[in-house]
Amino acid sequence: MKASKAHERGDLVFLIAVVLLAAYGVVAVYSASYYNAEVQYGDSAFYFKKQLLGFVLGLAAMLGLSFLDYRKLRNLGLPALILSLVLLALVFVPGLGKSNYGATRWIGFGGFTVQPSEIAKLGFVLFTAGYFAKDPARLRTFRGILPVLGAGIAMCVLIMLEPNMSVTMCVGAIMVGMLFLGGIKKRTLALLLVPALLLVPVLIAMEPYRLQRLSAFVDPWASPQEEGYQLIQSLYALANGGFFGTGLFHSRQKFRFLPFAESDFILAVIAEETGFFGVLVLFCAIGVVVWRGMRIANRCEDLFGYMLSAGITLAFAVQSALNALVVSGCIPPTGLPLPLISAGNTSLIVTMAGMGLVLGVSRHTGGHKKHKIYK
Amino acid sequence: MLAAITFLFCIFLGRFFYIQLIWEDELHYRALDQWTREIPVHAGRGRILDRNGVLLAGNVAQYGIFARANAVEDAESSAELLSSLIGQPYEDVLKKLTDRTRSEISIVRRTEKETVEQLAAHEIKGVYYARNDARFYPYGSLAAQVIGFTAFDRSGTTGLERFYNEYLAGESGEILFETDLVGVDLEGAAAAYLPATDGLDLRLTIDSRIQALAEDVMARALEEHSAKAARAIVLDPMDFSVRAMVNLPSYDLNDVPRDDLDTLNALSRNCLVSDIYEPGSTFKIVTAAATINEYLKGNPDAIPPNRIFSSARTRTVDGTTIKCWSDHKNGKHANQTLAEALNNSCNPCFVDIALALGKQCFYDYLSAFRFGRATGLDFSGEAIGMLLPGSTIRDCDLARIGFGQTIAVTPLQLACAAASAINGGNYYAPRLVSEICSADGAVREKLNATLVGHTVSPEASAMLSGMLEGVVRDGSGKKAYIEGYRVAGKTGTAQKYENGAIAQGKYVSSFLGYFPADRPAYLALVIVDEPQGGYYGSTVAAPLAKEIFEGIIKIMDLSPREA
Repeated sequence: MKASKAHERGDLVFLIAVVLLAAYGVVAVYSASYYNAEVQYGDSAFYFKKQLLGFVLGLAAMLGLSFLDYRKLRNLGLPALILSLVLLALVFVPGLGKSNYGATRWIGFGGFTVQPSEIAKLGFVLFTAGYFAKDPARLRTFRGILPVLGAGIAMCVLIMLEPNMSVTMCVGAIMVGMLFLGGIKKRTLALLLVPALLLVPVLIAMEPYRLQRLSAFVDPWASPQEEGYQLIQSLYALANGGFFGTGLFHSRQKFRFLPFAESDFILAVIAEETGFFGVLVLFCAIGVVVWRGMRIANRCEDLFGYMLSAGITLAFAVQSALNALVVSGCIPPTGLPLPLISAGNTSLIVTMAGMGLVLGVSRHTGGHKKHKIYK
Repeated sequence: MLAAITFLFCIFLGRFFYIQLIWEDELHYRALDQWTREIPVHAGRGRILDRNGVLLAGNVAQYGIFARANAVEDAESSAELLSSLIGQPYEDVLKKLTDRTRSEISIVRRTEKETVEQLAAHEIKGVYYARNDARFYPYGSLAAQVIGFTAFDRSGTTGLERFYNEYLAGESGEILFETDLVGVDLEGAAAAYLPATDGLDLRLTIDSRIQALAEDVMARALEEHSAKAARAIVLDPMDFSVRAMVNLPSYDLNDVPRDDLDTLNALSRNCLVSDIYEPGSTFKIVTAAATINEYLKGNPDAIPPNRIFSSARTRTVDGTTIKCWSDHKNGKHANQTLAEALNNSCNPCFVDIALALGKQCFYDYLSAFRFGRATGLDFSGEAIGMLLPGSTIRDCDLARIGFGQTIAVTPLQLACAAASAINGGNYYAPRLVSEICSADGAVREKLNATLVGHTVSPEASAMLSGMLEGVVRDGSGKKAYIEGYRVAGKTGTAQKYENGAIAQGKYVSSFLGYFPADRPAYLALVIVDEPQGGYYGSTVAAPLAKEIFEGIIKIMDLSPREA
């Protein structure tokens, strides 16, 4: 197969948008964290340095993987799934698992910590894409999709146990999204969605803190010092931003008022410093990544490349949207980073690596034909 | 799929739009509160001046020092420095500087300016100071119960300091410092300054010279008669402005006995306004005013002023016998007219008057003279007295009220009632404050005399005044006579009751006088509570009123006039 020059370069718009977002994230992390870093670690650049390292590593991973022929990954699905599940399980091994804020979501090797759920999302996409690519007919039967459901539910259960509701929701959404993208029967989809939706109240009832957060989300001022605190602080930040914001580095809420300002709530700081305008621009950039990602998927000639790039793009889109919904108080606060932007190296590197795979698909897609494998 | 994602994006972008551009102001307003820590900016408390501008209550500049443990950087060395500056033990200061359970803690409530200047030179992080003036009363105990005192936070606790606190206090300002969540000041952040509004000054109707004079006279009386208390009130009877209010024993406003609450309550009470007593014969002024007014109005029931009263010593009403204080022997209290009855303070005559007027009519007068009602003085805690309800009293009660028994009044009520009886019949709301001014002297509010009602006609008033002048010239009030100044008045000697029975040997001696009789300018009610030895109002109280009047004549440089 002879690829044109353009294809060897890959989707430049996609590449530039991803790199810009990640670079902007490094700046935003510095702005959001320098005061708190100074107070807590005596080094205002503490989070900045970590994020910069993550950016460099992430960029290397992204570019490196983009040169890889994605088709070679077809058979890596199962090992990726097993690795993901093992890592998720390791969280519960005493000594390895690290707890923070009442949840065990990290595993630590010396001074280095990894959040397995971030890896698991990519692992799940790889597995699903590989599994269906091997035999597209599997998409047609319920039995055919069972292994994917099994893998997804296994992950969800493990993540649920950490506990981490939002990432669970994220994985669930990716699973359903990928089945939909793969083109399973609508009836089967409904059969999956309805019980999943019914499960939500059960899951909420299982952990009392979720119900508290839910009520805090309805009226945060009912408990301004407890459950409602985080959301209130986020709303204050947004309101302080107005249309054009207070200016980069001029957030008022980052002075320890807003918890997780550099990670899960970095969007609030961005909204404060750059205003609604900045939020709009940021989500335009995120939108470009999603659009180009989907475009790459659609242009890919094989199911594996299609499922892989669409899945990764979907995961990115879903997670970005969930984070924005949390920060703006549309859904109850949960611990979910804004991909490419929030502080957190696992998330950054894995997301960029995933983006590298998508870029690789664009690079290794031969013709101009649109994807038309199924149906 | 892209459509679904676009839809999702639109949802939260709409939400961002709403929060950032529509809900913005309300949220921002709420957020402002948490971003700043305030240091109060002192509002100067208004001064209290007498009617001539003499300072009665002012301020001394002092400063409070406080700390915010979260913003303190080097607690040990800061504590060392502070303890040497303010003379508190190092351990105590260190404990306050490291007490992170409170966002702000007071280290010294009040200290001198020099200390604060030294403190400012050192710029200790987390330690602040703010103006916190102390109240100062140049004359100490002068008019102590009228002026009142303030609490440690400078808000008025008693007296005018309390009643006019709203005007005196002003409004504190604030210096707003931008801080982080736990109160650490942000570097490079500008502090916002909200200026304080100083309180307003009160200009009293009290004349400090007359007040001092009256206090002097009453203090000597208190000692001379070994009395329990000595009180006096001086009014301008033409508009009821209070010139002096004396309550002895008293206390120093600069050294309030805060540790002994009972003593403090007793000493700081303005008994002239808040306490009631049975007035006795001074109340005959009211009875006489009522009958004269009714007579002039042509009421056939009213006993004419020139009719001769029965000379008998006793009256029997409802089966009870009422006696005169005099034995009526050897021609005493014989063949008296109203004027002579007043001169002699003969009780049976006033029994006759009250019964002749009848319950309805006499009670109408009591009401017009505002017994059983507040006078409306600008002061907290005014008592309304005790007046039996008209519907329940019997004739024997009515008869006794006629000469000032079976009724309890505040000294202020009696003084005001008498003032209206002799000023032409006008009853004003008594006043202690005439003007509220800003510090530059500009009048913000003028509290003019307000006419509350009419009691008697000008003719009746004039006739009564002539009779009361006679009391001082020829009768029981002789000891208040001052040649050429037409002093008029009425004595009173009341027995005290304890637990519902007459307390043997305990009297209240009083005299209510004014001058000049034809155009009254000064009215005084002098009360000596439980004098030892002599106890008649004519011998104990009348001379005190005379002393006060003589003092006023000297202070005001009044010249004598012909009778």
